[in-house]
Amino acid sequence: MSQKEVVPLLMLLPFAGAQTAWDMLHEDEMFPRITTSCLDLDNILGGGINCKEVTEIGGVPGMGKTQLGIQLAVNVQIPVDYGGLGAKAIYIDTEGSFMVERVLQIAEACIEDMTECNGLLRKDFQAGQLKMHPNNILENIFYFRVCSYTEQIALTNYLDKFISEHKDVKVVIVDSVTFHFRQDFDDMALRTRLLSGIALKLMKLAKEHGLAVVLLNQVTTKYIEGSFQLTLALGDSWSHSCTNRVILYWNGNERYAYIDKSPSLRSASAPYSVTSKGIRNSASTCKRIRMM
Amino acid sequence: MTPENLLLRPLITQKCTLGCPDLDRCLGGGIPCNSITELVAESGCGKTQLCLQLALTAQLPIPLGGLSASSIYIHTEFPFPSRRLHQLSLAFHSSHPPIFGGDPCDYIFVQGVHSADQMLGIMTKMEQFVENSRTQLPVRLIVIDSIAALFRSEFDNTPVELKRRSSLFFKISGKLKSLAKRFGLAVVVTNQVVDLVGSEGINGLRIGNLASLCSSGRRVCPALGLAWANCVNSRLFLARHEEVDKEENELGDVNLQSTRSRRRLHVVFAPHLPESCCEFVITRKGIFGVEREQNAAKRNEA
Repeated sequence: MSQKEVVPLLMLLPFAGAQTAWDMLHEDEMFPRITTSCLDLDNILGGGINCKEVTEIGGVPGMGKTQLGIQLAVNVQIPVDYGGLGAKAIYIDTEGSFMVERVLQIAEACIEDMTECNGLLRKDFQAGQLKMHPNNILENIFYFRVCSYTEQIALTNYLDKFISEHKDVKVVIVDSVTFHFRQDFDDMALRTRLLSGIALKLMKLAKEHGLAVVLLNQVTTKYIEGSFQLTLALGDSWSHSCTNRVILYWNGNERYAYIDKSPSLRSASAPYSVTSKGIRNSASTCKRIRMM
Repeated sequence: MTPENLLLRPLITQKCTLGCPDLDRCLGGGIPCNSITELVAESGCGKTQLCLQLALTAQLPIPLGGLSASSIYIHTEFPFPSRRLHQLSLAFHSSHPPIFGGDPCDYIFVQGVHSADQMLGIMTKMEQFVENSRTQLPVRLIVIDSIAALFRSEFDNTPVELKRRSSLFFKISGKLKSLAKRFGLAVVVTNQVVDLVGSEGINGLRIGNLASLCSSGRRVCPALGLAWANCVNSRLFLARHEEVDKEENELGDVNLQSTRSRRRLHVVFAPHLPESCCEFVITRKGIFGVEREQNAAKRNEA
Protein backbone atom coordinates (compact mmCIF):
# COMPACT_ATOMS: atom_id res chain seq x y z
CA MET A 1 0.00 0.00 0.00
CA SER A 2 1.19 3.45 -0.73
CA GLN A 3 1.67 5.97 2.05
CA LYS A 4 -1.37 7.82 0.80
CA GLU A 5 -3.53 4.78 1.48
CA VAL A 6 -2.04 3.85 4.86
CA VAL A 7 -2.21 7.20 6.61
CA PRO A 8 -6.03 7.48 6.55
CA LEU A 9 -6.22 3.92 7.96
CA LEU A 10 -3.77 4.79 10.74
CA MET A 11 -5.93 7.78 11.59
CA LEU A 12 -8.80 5.41 12.32
CA LEU A 13 -6.88 3.45 14.94
CA PRO A 14 -7.93 4.54 18.45
CA PHE A 15 -5.18 6.01 20.59
CA ALA A 16 -4.30 3.76 23.49
CA GLY A 17 -6.75 4.44 26.32
CA ALA A 18 -8.99 6.77 24.36
CA GLN A 19 -12.36 5.77 23.06
CA THR A 20 -13.98 6.45 19.79
CA ALA A 21 -17.43 7.94 19.83
CA TRP A 22 -18.63 4.69 18.29
CA ASP A 23 -17.34 2.70 21.29
CA MET A 24 -18.98 5.12 23.66
CA LEU A 25 -22.30 4.75 21.92
CA HIS A 26 -22.03 0.99 22.23
CA GLU A 27 -21.23 1.35 25.88
CA ASP A 28 -24.27 3.50 26.35
CA GLU A 29 -26.40 0.76 24.94
CA MET A 30 -24.82 -1.74 27.32
CA PHE A 31 -26.03 0.30 30.28
CA PRO A 32 -29.81 0.30 30.14
CA ARG A 33 -31.62 3.00 32.01
CA ILE A 34 -33.76 2.51 35.12
CA THR A 35 -37.40 3.27 34.46
CA THR A 36 -39.32 5.57 36.81
CA SER A 37 -42.63 3.84 35.95
CA CYS A 38 -43.86 7.12 34.50
CA LEU A 39 -43.65 7.24 30.72
CA ASP A 40 -43.46 11.03 30.46
CA LEU A 41 -40.76 11.22 33.10
CA ASP A 42 -38.77 8.44 31.42
CA ASN A 43 -39.04 10.31 28.15
CA ILE A 44 -37.51 13.56 29.36
CA LEU A 45 -34.80 11.49 31.05
CA GLY A 46 -33.92 9.86 27.76
CA GLY A 47 -35.50 6.55 28.73
CA GLY A 48 -34.96 6.56 32.48
CA ILE A 49 -32.26 7.20 35.07
CA ASN A 50 -28.88 6.69 33.47
CA CYS A 51 -26.22 4.43 34.89
CA LYS A 52 -22.65 5.75 35.14
CA GLU A 53 -24.05 9.17 36.10
CA VAL A 54 -25.04 11.09 39.19
CA THR A 55 -28.59 12.44 39.01
CA GLU A 56 -29.77 14.94 41.58
CA ILE A 57 -33.51 15.26 42.20
CA GLY A 58 -34.83 18.07 44.34
CA GLY A 59 -38.19 19.39 45.47
CA VAL A 60 -40.20 20.69 48.41
CA PRO A 61 -41.55 18.26 51.02
CA GLY A 62 -44.47 16.25 49.74
CA MET A 63 -43.30 16.33 46.13
CA GLY A 64 -42.55 12.61 46.05
CA LYS A 65 -38.76 12.45 46.29
CA THR A 66 -38.76 9.49 48.67
CA GLN A 67 -41.48 7.86 46.55
CA LEU A 68 -39.27 8.21 43.47
CA GLY A 69 -36.29 6.89 45.39
CA ILE A 70 -38.21 3.80 46.48
CA GLN A 71 -39.63 3.31 42.97
CA LEU A 72 -36.11 3.27 41.54
CA ALA A 73 -34.88 0.87 44.22
CA VAL A 74 -37.68 -1.47 43.15
CA ASN A 75 -37.45 -0.89 39.39
CA VAL A 76 -33.73 -1.60 39.19
CA GLN A 77 -34.72 -5.16 40.12
CA ILE A 78 -37.04 -5.65 37.14
CA PRO A 79 -35.67 -8.74 35.37
CA VAL A 80 -33.80 -8.36 32.11
CA ASP A 81 -36.56 -10.34 30.36
CA TYR A 82 -38.95 -7.51 31.21
CA GLY A 83 -36.65 -4.76 29.99
CA GLY A 84 -35.04 -4.09 33.36
CA LEU A 85 -31.57 -4.49 34.80
CA GLY A 86 -32.21 -7.45 37.11
CA ALA A 87 -29.95 -5.74 39.61
CA LYS A 88 -29.93 -4.63 43.26
CA ALA A 89 -30.12 -1.31 45.07
CA ILE A 90 -28.41 0.53 47.89
CA TYR A 91 -30.71 2.91 49.77
CA ILE A 92 -29.08 5.38 52.14
CA ASP A 93 -31.72 6.89 54.39
CA THR A 94 -30.63 10.05 56.22
CA GLU A 95 -34.05 11.29 57.26
CA GLY A 96 -36.05 8.25 58.32
CA SER A 97 -38.70 8.52 55.60
CA PHE A 98 -38.18 4.98 54.30
CA MET A 99 -41.07 2.82 55.46
CA VAL A 100 -41.13 -0.89 54.68
CA GLU A 101 -44.90 -1.02 54.23
CA ARG A 102 -44.65 1.56 51.46
CA VAL A 103 -41.83 -0.35 49.77
CA LEU A 104 -43.96 -3.50 49.88
CA GLN A 105 -46.90 -1.64 48.35
CA ILE A 106 -44.75 -0.38 45.48
CA ALA A 107 -43.06 -3.79 45.07
CA GLU A 108 -46.42 -5.58 44.89
CA ALA A 109 -47.68 -3.14 42.27
CA CYS A 110 -44.51 -3.61 40.21
CA ILE A 111 -44.90 -7.38 40.26
CA GLU A 112 -48.58 -7.03 39.37
CA ASP A 113 -47.69 -4.87 36.38
CA MET A 114 -45.15 -7.40 35.20
CA THR A 115 -47.55 -10.30 35.65
CA GLU A 116 -50.15 -8.40 33.66
CA CYS A 117 -47.59 -7.82 30.95
CA ASN A 118 -46.87 -11.52 31.06
CA GLY A 119 -50.50 -12.31 30.56
CA LEU A 120 -50.98 -9.85 27.70
CA LEU A 121 -47.89 -10.41 25.62
CA ARG A 122 -46.30 -13.67 26.47
CA LYS A 123 -49.08 -16.20 26.36
CA ASP A 124 -46.86 -18.63 24.52
CA PHE A 125 -43.69 -17.92 26.45
CA GLN A 126 -43.85 -20.62 29.11
CA ALA A 127 -40.37 -20.14 30.45
CA GLY A 128 -40.98 -16.54 31.45
CA GLN A 129 -43.05 -17.33 34.54
CA LEU A 130 -42.56 -14.54 37.00
CA LYS A 131 -41.32 -15.95 40.27
CA MET A 132 -40.77 -12.69 42.09
CA HIS A 133 -42.28 -12.10 45.47
CA PRO A 134 -42.39 -8.74 47.27
CA ASN A 135 -40.04 -10.16 49.91
CA ASN A 136 -37.43 -10.83 47.22
CA ILE A 137 -37.60 -7.18 46.31
CA LEU A 138 -37.04 -6.20 49.94
CA GLU A 139 -34.08 -8.54 50.17
CA ASN A 140 -32.41 -6.91 47.19
CA ILE A 141 -32.40 -3.44 48.71
CA PHE A 142 -29.34 -2.86 50.86
CA TYR A 143 -30.66 -0.35 53.37
CA PHE A 144 -28.43 1.91 55.45
CA ARG A 145 -29.68 4.47 57.95
CA VAL A 146 -27.30 7.29 58.83
CA CYS A 147 -27.89 9.71 61.67
CA SER A 148 -25.10 12.25 61.32
CA TYR A 149 -22.84 13.74 58.70
CA THR A 150 -19.87 11.77 60.00
CA GLU A 151 -21.80 8.54 59.51
CA GLN A 152 -22.76 9.71 56.04
CA ILE A 153 -19.15 10.38 55.10
CA ALA A 154 -17.93 7.10 56.57
CA LEU A 155 -20.58 5.19 54.65
CA THR A 156 -19.78 6.98 51.41
CA ASN A 157 -16.14 5.97 51.83
CA TYR A 158 -17.13 2.39 52.51
CA LEU A 159 -19.38 2.05 49.46
CA ASP A 160 -16.59 1.26 47.03
CA LYS A 161 -15.64 -1.84 49.04
CA PHE A 162 -19.26 -2.87 49.51
CA ILE A 163 -20.07 -2.56 45.83
CA SER A 164 -16.95 -4.49 44.89
CA GLU A 165 -18.34 -7.32 46.98
CA HIS A 166 -21.86 -6.90 45.57
CA LYS A 167 -21.35 -6.33 41.90
CA ASP A 168 -25.03 -6.64 41.12
CA VAL A 169 -25.81 -3.27 42.71
CA LYS A 170 -26.74 -0.87 39.93
CA VAL A 171 -28.28 2.04 41.81
CA VAL A 172 -27.28 3.98 44.92
CA ILE A 173 -29.98 6.27 46.29
CA VAL A 174 -29.23 8.87 48.98
CA ASP A 175 -32.40 10.23 50.67
CA SER A 176 -31.59 13.00 51.26
CA VAL A 177 -28.01 13.96 50.63
CA THR A 178 -28.65 17.31 52.30
CA PHE A 179 -30.23 16.80 55.66
CA HIS A 180 -27.21 16.32 57.92
CA PHE A 181 -25.26 19.14 56.29
CA ARG A 182 -27.77 21.87 57.02
CA GLN A 183 -26.87 22.11 60.67
CA ASP A 184 -24.51 24.78 61.79
CA PHE A 185 -21.01 24.22 60.58
CA ASP A 186 -18.71 26.59 62.40
CA ASP A 187 -16.38 26.33 59.48
CA MET A 188 -18.28 26.63 56.21
CA ALA A 189 -15.13 25.94 54.25
CA LEU A 190 -15.01 22.58 56.00
CA ARG A 191 -18.54 21.86 54.93
CA THR A 192 -17.71 22.66 51.34
CA ARG A 193 -14.67 20.40 51.49
CA LEU A 194 -16.64 17.53 53.00
CA LEU A 195 -19.40 17.87 50.44
CA SER A 196 -16.94 17.99 47.55
CA GLY A 197 -15.30 14.88 48.94
CA ILE A 198 -18.60 13.05 48.97
CA ALA A 199 -19.48 14.28 45.49
CA LEU A 200 -16.19 13.10 44.02
CA LYS A 201 -16.49 9.68 45.64
CA LEU A 202 -20.01 9.24 44.33
CA MET A 203 -19.09 10.29 40.81
CA LYS A 204 -16.19 7.86 40.89
CA LEU A 205 -18.48 5.07 42.09
CA ALA A 206 -20.91 5.75 39.28
CA LYS A 207 -18.23 5.68 36.61
CA GLU A 208 -16.14 2.79 37.87
CA HIS A 209 -18.98 0.45 38.71
CA GLY A 210 -21.29 1.56 35.93
CA LEU A 211 -24.14 2.26 38.32
CA ALA A 212 -26.61 5.09 38.75
CA VAL A 213 -26.25 7.41 41.72
CA VAL A 214 -29.45 9.24 42.63
CA LEU A 215 -29.19 12.07 45.14
CA LEU A 216 -32.43 13.40 46.60
CA ASN A 217 -32.08 16.99 47.70
CA GLN A 218 -34.14 19.54 49.58
CA VAL A 219 -34.95 23.02 48.41
CA THR A 220 -34.30 26.22 50.23
CA THR A 221 -34.87 29.87 49.61
CA LYS A 222 -32.16 32.21 48.48
CA TYR A 223 -32.20 35.95 48.33
CA ILE A 224 -31.38 36.65 44.69
CA GLU A 225 -31.77 40.05 43.05
CA GLY A 226 -34.09 41.50 45.61
CA SER A 227 -36.42 38.58 46.14
CA PHE A 228 -36.50 35.16 47.67
CA GLN A 229 -36.25 32.35 45.17
CA LEU A 230 -36.35 28.59 45.43
CA THR A 231 -33.09 26.83 44.95
CA LEU A 232 -31.66 23.39 45.67
CA ALA A 233 -29.95 23.21 49.03
CA LEU A 234 -26.21 22.98 49.69
CA GLY A 235 -25.22 26.03 47.75
CA ASP A 236 -23.59 26.80 44.45
CA SER A 237 -20.45 24.80 45.08
CA TRP A 238 -22.51 21.61 45.15
CA SER A 239 -24.07 22.19 41.76
CA HIS A 240 -20.96 20.91 39.97
CA SER A 241 -21.27 17.59 41.74
CA CYS A 242 -23.93 15.98 39.66
CA THR A 243 -24.26 15.16 36.01
CA ASN A 244 -28.00 15.67 35.77
CA ARG A 245 -30.30 17.78 37.83
CA VAL A 246 -34.05 17.33 38.02
CA ILE A 247 -36.39 19.66 39.87
CA LEU A 248 -39.81 18.54 41.03
CA TYR A 249 -42.46 21.24 41.34
CA TRP A 250 -46.18 21.87 41.56
CA ASN A 251 -47.99 23.24 38.55
CA GLY A 252 -51.45 23.95 39.86
CA ASN A 253 -52.64 20.63 41.20
CA GLU A 254 -50.23 18.54 39.18
CA ARG A 255 -46.76 17.35 39.95
CA TYR A 256 -44.12 18.13 37.33
CA ALA A 257 -40.45 17.28 36.85
CA TYR A 258 -38.06 19.60 35.04
CA ILE A 259 -34.61 18.82 33.66
CA ASP A 260 -32.62 21.69 35.04
CA LYS A 261 -29.16 20.63 33.97
CA SER A 262 -27.84 17.84 31.81
CA PRO A 263 -25.04 17.40 29.31
CA SER A 264 -27.18 15.27 27.05
CA LEU A 265 -30.84 15.91 27.80
CA ARG A 266 -32.92 18.81 26.60
CA SER A 267 -34.54 21.08 29.16
CA ALA A 268 -38.05 19.74 29.35
CA SER A 269 -40.90 19.22 31.78
CA ALA A 270 -43.10 16.23 32.31
CA PRO A 271 -46.06 15.57 34.58
CA TYR A 272 -46.07 12.59 36.93
CA SER A 273 -48.19 11.37 39.79
CA VAL A 274 -47.76 9.58 43.09
CA THR A 275 -50.31 6.81 43.54
CA SER A 276 -50.77 3.89 45.90
CA LYS A 277 -48.78 1.86 43.36
CA GLY A 278 -45.89 4.32 43.36
CA ILE A 279 -44.79 6.78 40.69
CA ARG A 280 -47.02 6.62 37.63
CA ASN A 281 -48.13 8.67 34.68
CA SER A 282 -50.16 11.68 35.62
CA ALA A 283 -53.91 11.15 35.40
CA SER A 284 -54.29 13.60 32.54
CA THR A 285 -51.67 11.67 30.56
CA CYS A 286 -53.64 8.50 31.09
CA LYS A 287 -56.73 10.18 29.75
CA ARG A 288 -54.79 11.29 26.67
CA ILE A 289 -53.50 7.80 26.02
CA ARG A 290 -56.92 6.30 26.42
CA MET A 291 -58.46 8.75 24.01
CA MET A 292 -55.92 7.84 21.34
CA MET B 1 -20.99 -1.27 58.39
CA THR B 2 -23.62 -3.72 57.40
CA PRO B 3 -26.92 -2.93 55.78
CA GLU B 4 -30.05 -3.55 57.78
CA ASN B 5 -31.96 -6.67 56.89
CA LEU B 6 -35.33 -5.27 55.84
CA LEU B 7 -37.01 -8.64 56.22
CA LEU B 8 -36.19 -8.57 59.93
CA ARG B 9 -38.06 -5.31 60.35
CA PRO B 10 -41.77 -5.51 61.10
CA LEU B 11 -43.47 -5.30 57.71
CA ILE B 12 -45.72 -2.59 59.05
CA THR B 13 -44.08 0.19 61.03
CA GLN B 14 -45.26 0.22 64.62
CA LYS B 15 -47.74 2.97 65.29
CA CYS B 16 -49.43 4.55 68.28
CA THR B 17 -53.20 4.61 68.10
CA LEU B 18 -54.98 7.95 68.49
CA GLY B 19 -57.66 6.17 70.48
CA CYS B 20 -60.21 6.26 67.69
CA PRO B 21 -60.50 3.81 64.76
CA ASP B 22 -61.67 6.51 62.33
CA LEU B 23 -58.70 8.75 63.00
CA ASP B 24 -56.38 5.74 62.94
CA ARG B 25 -57.73 4.68 59.57
CA CYS B 26 -56.92 8.09 58.12
CA LEU B 27 -53.37 7.76 59.40
CA GLY B 28 -52.74 4.18 58.37
CA GLY B 29 -52.91 2.90 61.95
CA GLY B 30 -51.79 5.86 64.01
CA ILE B 31 -48.68 7.95 64.64
CA PRO B 32 -45.66 6.02 63.32
CA CYS B 33 -42.62 5.23 65.41
CA ASN B 34 -39.14 6.05 64.20
CA SER B 35 -40.14 9.37 62.62
CA ILE B 36 -41.27 12.90 63.37
CA THR B 37 -44.93 13.72 62.82
CA GLU B 38 -45.93 17.37 62.87
CA LEU B 39 -49.39 18.58 63.89
CA VAL B 40 -50.16 21.98 62.44
CA ALA B 41 -53.18 24.02 63.48
CA GLU B 42 -54.30 27.44 64.52
CA SER B 43 -54.97 28.04 68.18
CA GLY B 44 -57.89 26.23 69.65
CA CYS B 45 -58.12 23.52 67.02
CA GLY B 46 -57.12 20.64 69.20
CA LYS B 47 -53.39 20.09 68.79
CA THR B 48 -52.70 20.03 72.52
CA GLN B 49 -55.76 17.87 73.12
CA LEU B 50 -54.56 15.35 70.59
CA CYS B 51 -51.09 15.31 72.15
CA LEU B 52 -52.46 14.75 75.64
CA GLN B 53 -54.62 11.98 74.25
CA LEU B 54 -51.61 10.36 72.60
CA ALA B 55 -49.67 10.46 75.86
CA LEU B 56 -52.49 8.36 77.30
CA THR B 57 -53.10 5.98 74.39
CA ALA B 58 -49.37 5.29 74.21
CA GLN B 59 -49.80 3.48 77.50
CA LEU B 60 -52.19 0.96 75.98
CA PRO B 61 -50.78 -2.50 75.37
CA ILE B 62 -49.51 -3.19 71.88
CA PRO B 63 -52.40 -5.52 70.87
CA LEU B 64 -54.75 -2.58 71.52
CA GLY B 65 -52.71 -0.29 69.30
CA GLY B 66 -50.67 1.39 72.01
CA LEU B 67 -46.95 1.33 72.56
CA SER B 68 -47.10 0.05 76.14
CA ALA B 69 -45.05 3.11 76.89
CA SER B 70 -44.50 6.22 78.93
CA SER B 71 -44.09 9.56 77.28
CA ILE B 72 -42.06 12.72 77.62
CA TYR B 73 -44.22 15.82 77.15
CA ILE B 74 -42.29 18.98 76.49
CA HIS B 75 -44.38 22.12 76.62
CA THR B 76 -43.27 25.54 75.55
CA GLU B 77 -46.41 27.44 76.38
CA PHE B 78 -47.30 27.94 79.97
CA PRO B 79 -49.00 26.72 82.03
CA PHE B 80 -49.19 23.05 81.19
CA PRO B 81 -52.86 22.01 80.79
CA SER B 82 -52.86 19.66 83.77
CA ARG B 83 -56.57 20.01 84.43
CA ARG B 84 -57.48 18.91 80.93
CA LEU B 85 -54.98 16.04 81.18
CA HIS B 86 -56.58 14.94 84.41
CA GLN B 87 -60.05 15.05 82.82
CA LEU B 88 -58.87 13.00 79.85
CA SER B 89 -57.08 10.50 82.05
CA LEU B 90 -60.23 9.87 84.06
CA ALA B 91 -62.14 9.14 80.86
CA PHE B 92 -59.26 6.99 79.64
CA HIS B 93 -59.13 5.05 82.89
CA SER B 94 -62.84 4.37 82.85
CA SER B 95 -63.02 3.29 79.23
CA HIS B 96 -60.12 0.88 79.48
CA PRO B 97 -59.97 -2.01 81.92
CA PRO B 98 -57.19 -1.61 84.47
CA ILE B 99 -54.19 -2.85 82.53
CA PHE B 100 -51.74 -1.75 85.12
CA GLY B 101 -51.96 -0.18 88.50
CA GLY B 102 -51.63 3.50 89.14
CA ASP B 103 -52.59 6.77 87.63
CA PRO B 104 -51.99 7.16 83.86
CA CYS B 105 -50.54 10.58 84.65
CA ASP B 106 -47.65 8.85 86.38
CA TYR B 107 -46.45 7.68 83.00
CA ILE B 108 -46.30 11.13 81.44
CA PHE B 109 -43.13 13.09 82.17
CA VAL B 110 -43.68 16.80 81.71
CA GLN B 111 -40.93 19.35 81.12
CA GLY B 112 -41.30 23.05 80.38
CA VAL B 113 -38.85 24.64 77.96
CA HIS B 114 -38.42 28.36 77.31
CA SER B 115 -36.04 28.68 74.38
CA ALA B 116 -34.57 26.88 71.39
CA ASP B 117 -31.15 26.74 73.00
CA GLN B 118 -32.64 25.23 76.13
CA MET B 119 -34.42 22.68 73.94
CA LEU B 120 -31.12 21.67 72.39
CA GLY B 121 -29.58 21.60 75.83
CA ILE B 122 -32.01 19.08 77.27
CA MET B 123 -31.62 16.59 74.41
CA THR B 124 -28.78 14.79 76.15
CA LYS B 125 -30.76 14.68 79.36
CA MET B 126 -33.71 13.26 77.41
CA GLU B 127 -31.55 10.62 75.82
CA GLN B 128 -30.26 9.49 79.20
CA PHE B 129 -33.78 9.52 80.58
CA VAL B 130 -35.08 7.32 77.78
CA GLU B 131 -32.15 4.97 78.07
CA ASN B 132 -32.30 4.58 81.81
CA SER B 133 -36.01 4.88 82.48
CA ARG B 134 -36.75 2.60 85.33
CA THR B 135 -40.49 2.97 85.22
CA GLN B 136 -42.69 0.03 84.45
CA LEU B 137 -43.25 1.36 80.93
CA PRO B 138 -40.25 2.51 78.88
CA VAL B 139 -40.48 5.87 77.12
CA ARG B 140 -41.60 5.44 73.52
CA LEU B 141 -43.32 8.76 72.79
CA ILE B 142 -41.94 12.29 72.81
CA VAL B 143 -44.25 15.25 72.38
CA ILE B 144 -43.06 18.82 71.81
CA ASP B 145 -45.93 21.26 72.16
CA SER B 146 -45.23 23.56 70.43
CA ILE B 147 -42.03 23.98 68.46
CA ALA B 148 -43.22 27.29 67.04
CA ALA B 149 -43.31 29.01 70.41
CA LEU B 150 -39.57 28.35 70.80
CA PHE B 151 -38.70 30.27 67.66
CA ARG B 152 -41.31 32.91 67.06
CA SER B 153 -39.94 35.78 69.06
CA GLU B 154 -36.25 35.50 69.68
CA PHE B 155 -34.95 35.78 66.11
CA ASP B 156 -34.72 39.01 64.14
CA ASN B 157 -35.87 39.03 60.57
CA THR B 158 -32.39 39.38 59.08
CA PRO B 159 -30.84 36.79 56.74
CA VAL B 160 -28.14 35.96 59.29
CA GLU B 161 -30.59 35.37 62.10
CA LEU B 162 -32.90 33.35 59.87
CA LYS B 163 -29.98 31.20 58.85
CA ARG B 164 -29.08 30.66 62.49
CA ARG B 165 -32.69 29.76 63.17
CA SER B 166 -32.69 27.25 60.28
CA SER B 167 -29.54 25.60 61.59
CA LEU B 168 -31.24 25.11 64.93
CA PHE B 169 -34.19 23.44 63.20
CA PHE B 170 -31.91 20.91 61.57
CA LYS B 171 -29.91 20.36 64.74
CA ILE B 172 -33.00 19.72 66.87
CA SER B 173 -34.66 17.61 64.21
CA GLY B 174 -31.46 15.64 63.63
CA LYS B 175 -31.16 14.83 67.31
CA LEU B 176 -34.84 13.91 67.61
CA LYS B 177 -34.62 11.61 64.58
CA SER B 178 -31.51 10.00 65.96
CA LEU B 179 -33.29 9.35 69.27
CA ALA B 180 -36.35 8.09 67.40
CA LYS B 181 -34.26 5.64 65.49
CA ARG B 182 -32.21 4.46 68.42
CA PHE B 183 -35.16 3.74 70.71
CA GLY B 184 -37.96 3.26 68.19
CA LEU B 185 -39.74 6.38 69.45
CA ALA B 186 -42.72 8.17 67.98
CA VAL B 187 -42.06 11.91 68.00
CA VAL B 188 -44.92 14.39 67.70
CA VAL B 189 -44.25 18.09 67.29
CA THR B 190 -46.96 20.74 67.13
CA ASN B 191 -46.72 23.89 65.07
CA GLN B 192 -48.78 27.02 64.66
CA VAL B 193 -50.00 28.75 61.52
CA VAL B 194 -49.42 32.13 59.99
CA ASP B 195 -51.64 33.91 57.52
CA LEU B 196 -50.93 33.34 53.87
CA VAL B 197 -50.06 36.65 52.30
CA GLY B 198 -50.63 36.71 48.57
CA SER B 199 -50.44 33.67 46.36
CA GLU B 200 -46.88 34.08 45.21
CA GLY B 201 -43.50 34.03 46.80
CA ILE B 202 -42.26 32.03 49.69
CA ASN B 203 -45.27 32.57 51.86
CA GLY B 204 -47.45 31.17 49.10
CA LEU B 205 -45.16 28.23 48.40
CA ARG B 206 -47.07 25.04 47.94
CA ILE B 207 -45.90 22.25 50.18
CA GLY B 208 -47.63 18.92 50.19
CA ASN B 209 -50.83 17.65 48.72
CA LEU B 210 -53.21 20.36 49.81
CA ALA B 211 -53.34 23.31 47.46
CA SER B 212 -53.82 25.57 50.39
CA LEU B 213 -54.56 25.18 54.05
CA CYS B 214 -57.70 26.88 55.24
CA SER B 215 -58.92 27.23 58.76
CA SER B 216 -61.62 29.46 60.20
CA GLY B 217 -62.06 31.05 56.82
CA ARG B 218 -58.43 32.18 56.61
CA ARG B 219 -55.84 30.92 54.20
CA VAL B 220 -52.91 29.86 56.33
CA CYS B 221 -49.59 28.14 56.15
CA PRO B 222 -47.53 26.45 58.85
CA ALA B 223 -45.14 28.66 60.83
CA LEU B 224 -41.37 28.38 60.64
CA GLY B 225 -41.24 28.20 56.85
CA LEU B 226 -39.71 25.86 54.33
CA ALA B 227 -36.64 25.00 56.39
CA TRP B 228 -38.68 23.47 59.21
CA ALA B 229 -40.94 21.69 56.69
CA ASN B 230 -37.83 19.83 55.54
CA CYS B 231 -37.21 18.64 59.09
CA VAL B 232 -40.35 16.57 59.64
CA ASN B 233 -41.32 13.26 58.07
CA SER B 234 -45.09 13.74 58.12
CA ARG B 235 -47.30 16.78 58.38
CA LEU B 236 -50.90 16.70 59.59
CA PHE B 237 -53.18 19.73 59.56
CA LEU B 238 -56.11 20.26 61.91
CA ALA B 239 -58.62 22.69 60.47
CA ARG B 240 -61.79 24.22 61.66
CA HIS B 241 -64.47 25.92 59.68
CA GLU B 242 -67.82 27.31 60.56
CA GLU B 243 -70.65 25.75 58.68
CA VAL B 244 -73.81 27.68 58.35
CA ASP B 245 -77.00 25.65 58.58
CA LYS B 246 -79.69 27.48 56.82
CA GLU B 247 -83.18 26.53 57.78
CA GLU B 248 -86.23 27.25 55.80
CA ASN B 249 -89.59 27.85 57.39
CA GLU B 250 -92.88 26.63 55.89
CA LEU B 251 -93.12 29.57 53.51
CA GLY B 252 -89.75 28.73 52.00
CA ASP B 253 -88.06 31.75 53.50
CA VAL B 254 -84.52 31.21 54.63
CA ASN B 255 -84.30 32.88 57.94
CA LEU B 256 -83.02 30.67 60.72
CA GLN B 257 -79.27 30.28 60.55
CA SER B 258 -77.07 28.52 63.01
CA THR B 259 -73.39 27.95 62.71
CA ARG B 260 -71.62 24.76 63.59
CA SER B 261 -67.95 24.17 64.02
CA ARG B 262 -66.71 21.41 61.75
CA ARG B 263 -63.25 20.09 62.38
CA ARG B 264 -61.06 18.07 60.04
CA LEU B 265 -57.74 16.31 60.23
CA HIS B 266 -55.85 16.43 56.92
CA VAL B 267 -52.76 14.54 55.83
CA VAL B 268 -50.63 17.19 54.11
CA PHE B 269 -47.67 14.94 53.37
CA ALA B 270 -46.40 11.61 54.66
CA PRO B 271 -44.14 8.98 53.15
CA HIS B 272 -46.70 6.24 53.66
CA LEU B 273 -50.06 7.97 53.32
CA PRO B 274 -52.13 9.32 50.46
CA GLU B 275 -53.91 12.64 50.76
CA SER B 276 -56.92 12.12 52.97
CA CYS B 277 -58.94 13.77 55.64
CA CYS B 278 -61.14 12.81 58.51
CA GLU B 279 -63.72 14.80 60.40
CA PHE B 280 -63.47 14.84 64.18
CA VAL B 281 -65.08 16.29 67.27
CA ILE B 282 -63.68 17.35 70.61
CA THR B 283 -65.65 16.12 73.58
CA ARG B 284 -65.08 15.97 77.27
CA LYS B 285 -63.65 12.52 76.79
CA GLY B 286 -61.26 13.47 74.05
CA ILE B 287 -60.93 13.72 70.28
CA PHE B 288 -62.83 11.27 68.16
CA GLY B 289 -63.32 10.85 64.46
CA VAL B 290 -66.70 11.16 62.92
CA GLU B 291 -67.41 8.84 60.09
CA ARG B 292 -69.92 10.39 57.79
CA GLU B 293 -72.44 7.82 56.52
CA GLN B 294 -71.56 8.39 52.89
CA ASN B 295 -67.88 7.68 53.57
CA ALA B 296 -68.71 4.40 55.29
CA ALA B 297 -70.87 3.40 52.34
CA LYS B 298 -68.13 4.30 49.87
CA ARG B 299 -65.64 2.27 51.84
CA ASN B 300 -67.91 -0.75 51.87
CA GLU B 301 -68.39 -0.50 48.13
CA ALA B 302 -64.67 -0.41 47.38
